[in-house]
Amino acid sequence: MTRPAFVFPVLVTLILVSLVTGVASLGEDGWWLVFVSRLPRTLAALLAGAGLAVAGVIMQMLARNPFVEPATAGTGQAAGLGLVAVTLLAPGAAIWLKMSAATTAALIGTAGFVALVRRLPTGDPLLVPLTGIVYGGILGAATTFLAYERDLLQYIDIWMSGEFSGVMLGRYEILWIGGALTVLAYLYADRFTIAGFGEETTRSLGLGYGQVVALGLVIVSVITAVTVVTVGMIPFVGLVVPNLVARMRGENLRETLPYVAVSGGVLVLACDIIGRVIRYPFEVPVGTVLGVLGAALFLWILHRGPRRG
Amino acid sequence: MDRLFSTLSVLFITVIVGYLTIDAKGHWDFVLAFRGAKLSALLTIAVAVAVSTVVFQTITANRILTPSIMGFDALYLFLQTALVFFLGGFGFASLNPFAKFGVETALMLVAALALFGVVLRNAKDLARMVLTGLILGVLLRSLTSLLNRMIDPNEFSVVQQASFARFSAIEAELTWISAAIVVACFLWLMARHRMLDVMALGRDTALSLGVSQDREVRRLLVVVALLVSVSTALVGPVIFFGLLVSALTYRIAGTWRHGVLLPVSALVSAITLVGAQTLFERVLGLQTSVSVVIEALGGVVFLILILRRRAR
Amino acid sequence: MKRTLAAVTALTLFAAPALAETTIETATGPVTISETPATTAVLDMASLDMLDALGIEGVTATSNTYLERLAPYAGDLGTLFEPDYEALNALSPDLIVAGGRSTEAVPQLEKLAPTVDMTMWGDDLLDQTRARLAAFGALYGKEAEAAALTESLDAEIAATQAAVEGKGNALILMTNGGKVSAYGAGGRFGWIHTEIGLPEVIEGLEDTSHGESVSFEFIRETNPDWILVLDRVAAIGGEGESAEATLDNPLVAETTAAQKGQIVYLNAGDIYVAGGGITSVLNTLEIIQTAFGASS
Repeated sequence: MTRPAFVFPVLVTLILVSLVTGVASLGEDGWWLVFVSRLPRTLAALLAGAGLAVAGVIMQMLARNPFVEPATAGTGQAAGLGLVAVTLLAPGAAIWLKMSAATTAALIGTAGFVALVRRLPTGDPLLVPLTGIVYGGILGAATTFLAYERDLLQYIDIWMSGEFSGVMLGRYEILWIGGALTVLAYLYADRFTIAGFGEETTRSLGLGYGQVVALGLVIVSVITAVTVVTVGMIPFVGLVVPNLVARMRGENLRETLPYVAVSGGVLVLACDIIGRVIRYPFEVPVGTVLGVLGAALFLWILHRGPRRG
Repeated sequence: MDRLFSTLSVLFITVIVGYLTIDAKGHWDFVLAFRGAKLSALLTIAVAVAVSTVVFQTITANRILTPSIMGFDALYLFLQTALVFFLGGFGFASLNPFAKFGVETALMLVAALALFGVVLRNAKDLARMVLTGLILGVLLRSLTSLLNRMIDPNEFSVVQQASFARFSAIEAELTWISAAIVVACFLWLMARHRMLDVMALGRDTALSLGVSQDREVRRLLVVVALLVSVSTALVGPVIFFGLLVSALTYRIAGTWRHGVLLPVSALVSAITLVGAQTLFERVLGLQTSVSVVIEALGGVVFLILILRRRAR
Repeated sequence: MKRTLAAVTALTLFAAPALAETTIETATGPVTISETPATTAVLDMASLDMLDALGIEGVTATSNTYLERLAPYAGDLGTLFEPDYEALNALSPDLIVAGGRSTEAVPQLEKLAPTVDMTMWGDDLLDQTRARLAAFGALYGKEAEAAALTESLDAEIAATQAAVEGKGNALILMTNGGKVSAYGAGGRFGWIHTEIGLPEVIEGLEDTSHGESVSFEFIRETNPDWILVLDRVAAIGGEGESAEATLDNPLVAETTAAQKGQIVYLNAGDIYVAGGGITSVLNTLEIIQTAFGASS
């Protein structure tokens, strides 16, 4: 078994790199700048990455399929739909109202997906990600429909492609909610692991399956909504990270969840640093970097042979 | 079987008459000519999508895979955006439509053959193939988004328009070439419907019945690629439409014979597309590209079909 | 393709017995129109802006004109991207004016009625504004009005040049929700730099013809004396996170522009939707003049 502990030194290195990477020069008021801009941006990337990776692994347990994550199960699309709806109904809505709308929509959307998956014919694991993508496509079409009729197409692009360029002190703090939920997920890790064995096993162990699923759904939806509202959807984190970690450490969540969270943070932070640097002094969205890098990583996982553990 | 065809024919004629006549503005000679041209384009696309999907599913022995699910829409978007990026929005818009069409079709054809070749080589490991296709799609979409970021927002709206299937702005001149290609492909496939029936029995059976499987598959793939390229280049990405049509066709036709499947799929496809266009453009007066709605509808029907499959 | 069609259109028109034949300059070259159009269909907001300024009668536009002041012209001609060809046919206008976002539809439009493509493109925007204004003036027999407008444009430019002279450099930003793009002299708003002599905050932006996604650190580091802001969400009539809210943060507050209160909110709708239109340009110059004139 490979030890994935190497992510910790990588994490520290990346944080240091992130703190010194940016357009403004760190002069005499360097500390102030780090405090106002660099640190928030670094934290935002770590929180979003950790949250999405954990949300991915929970979804994979609940759907009992290694190929689902918020972006391929309609969660992100549902959150976007909620945001467009609230933007149309109450244009100047406060951030908490937008948050609630996105969270509620994400919750309903994800619950719908889980309900669908449970009714799917068993034995064909392919159908689950396919259903998720079709389902997400339907929600996306509804969003496009609304946005197209009201000339909001470019505006929804803000939420659909993740970007940290606008992050600074006072502009990312909602992401801490995601951080808190990541901790919560760790506390309940054993139950998600058991839920991953299916409804009957869960019940035979004396656990309320419905409650575990409900908790998982809430965690996934809130993390997704929080990310979409603050920085936009970031693809692949929830798919790539859990699969890579499971390869090395197996699927006991209690043991792997910290690695999943840290690796998720590391991946997103690394991609954000790349996005800051490749067209310096201009920005490339982290969602785009991850779309390319994450896709390559995933193809590698896919073709490297069946996973162990 | 005759009843099936007569029912479909009646429906077909109904939607066509509806499409041509409902809510006409202006002079009849103009309206009929204008709508007639659009109608022929719609029919061309409908047949291309339907037939290519059915044949593709027969070759791959799978009823969920379609060319567009394998990342074709994404490839098309990428191509469009790259064109805008390198030529500029104004240059893109004023590019000779024939040149644009030719380049797009040629590129799509090359890409389709490469992609389908990979699909077939790994047809046994279907899960991996589908995911590879989907992930490639995301990769291309990310590259597209990267280019979008670098394009002026004004030009971005040009791309955004190109990235929806737009049934109302099709070049009439291109339709005739496309229609000729599609009709030729359809006739060629109809002439080989027995061969397709044999291939649907599976590779081993087909080989034992004396079909030179590999050569046939290659030929069929060229035709599928051509049809997909024509429809995508003509109108833009329609992801779930093919799936919707093929699923409906298998249910309605209730047979494996391609002599029936191919024409039924073409009719079903035409009725769906023209019907939806009539409903949304004429009756409801909505601006939204019909494709958005058809996609959503196709997705819903797909989910229902999957769930029904379990119930049976 | 389009050129040939335009040429064919021009030839057909030439062959017809003409009363008051006028040749005007368009984005695709000179086009000859046989008589003064009594009814005009307009599928370009910048052109609509100019026809409005010239006081042309018989003008119908798309169903959404985006700008309040152009609302009286809203018709049933579909959208900029998807003109309603049948409604156009029913209207049978003497002339269709297209451009910008509707450029792609021109080959189709030409089959319905004489069509001119009045797209304005590139960084010499104001020269094109003058050219289009002259063309419309000639076409509708409003040469005097067009000349007057061009004169007031030149006067406004001169006044704005004087107002910005020696007041420092500027950075043009567009906000979209919480995110920000920067535009340089080569960009679509570049005329603000080039025509009125307002220096760019850094030379590096010069080559980029499109908006560049930037961070707030970028704004602080370049430290412009002035920031000119376009709110994209407001431009299309939305009410998302306002540009003021986006720019109200400690990093932007560090810049000279913020400390001296020199952040100017431009008329986003005018510039974004009808960029290059005469009223749009005059309004923009007015705003810049007022802002710069007030500072000492």
